[in-house]
Amino acid sequence: MNTDDPELLGRALEGEEDAFTALYRRRQGGVYRFALQMTGSVEVAEDVTQETFLALILHGSRYDAARGTVSSFLYGIARNFVLRRLDGWREAELEEFAGHDDLLEDLTRRESIEQVRSAVLSLPPAYREVVVLCDLQDASYEEAAAVMACPVGTVRSRLSRGRSMLARKLGRIAVCGSVE
Amino acid sequence: MKPEDQVLAALKALAAHDREREAPEQLEGRILEAFRRKSARRSWRQSAMWSLAAAAGIAVAIFLAFPREHVVPVATTPREITTEFFPLMDVQLPFERGQLLRVMVPAGTLRTVGLPVNEDRLTERVQADVLVGEEGLARAIRFVSYEQ
Repeated sequence: MNTDDPELLGRALEGEEDAFTALYRRRQGGVYRFALQMTGSVEVAEDVTQETFLALILHGSRYDAARGTVSSFLYGIARNFVLRRLDGWREAELEEFAGHDDLLEDLTRRESIEQVRSAVLSLPPAYREVVVLCDLQDASYEEAAAVMACPVGTVRSRLSRGRSMLARKLGRIAVCGSVE
Repeated sequence: MKPEDQVLAALKALAAHDREREAPEQLEGRILEAFRRKSARRSWRQSAMWSLAAAAGIAVAIFLAFPREHVVPVATTPREITTEFFPLMDVQLPFERGQLLRVMVPAGTLRTVGLPVNEDRLTERVQADVLVGEEGLARAIRFVSYEQ
């Protein structure tokens, strides 16, 4: 039987290691990928994943099912750790990357996936997180809103704006088919 | 393909590429170790709380088991009540320094400052503070009693 997240969390908070392990194994991938896609660093992604689950151990009782899913709760914690690291970080690198308006040629190369990743990483954090959550992590608008602590309308508008910025950065990507 | 569709396709490709990426296995060990430490602290805290609760329960039971007359009343210091100072001299001399002396005086002294005293208690002694100037003259007096 597939136990749901809130039950696993409740049992974990009671000290059941099996429940915590199950919850960790179910959710660590999403948290890790979210951090990785937000920062582009496997080291930071690992640190953020660790910090997120340690925070869950210490403060998991703050989870309120009325405010969202356990998954959203975890992304919310991870987001805080990510944003702390992004504060004043990579700015120079992002500015440099932002100068490339047309990646058409680059996208035809084998590393085209990494070019898309770089384009995502070049977005300002407010737009990057919504693209990562909704387009890369398959979160619903409601889940993303819960993670970002903002209205659903803000998620929609930021997502639209983020995608437009990506389109500009990636240029005329007729080549996009090559990365599929 | 519209630009937005192209972006979505590119993002879809990136998501698919990353789908299998997970935190390193050794991380699970570190996090579970932290979980065990937290659980151990929690168990210890719960044990301590149960012990305290049990001790409190025993204390209450012992208290209730004792008959009232066995309970020794705890001595408390009664609160001191003082009157205002009453002048003892008709002429008010300048007062700069002096001493306050705690003395026992006959209850009749209360009458000298206009306070009522029961006739049959005139010979009893009451406590008073006498303010003595540095020249040695008694300037004022106040009477002291204790709250019952």
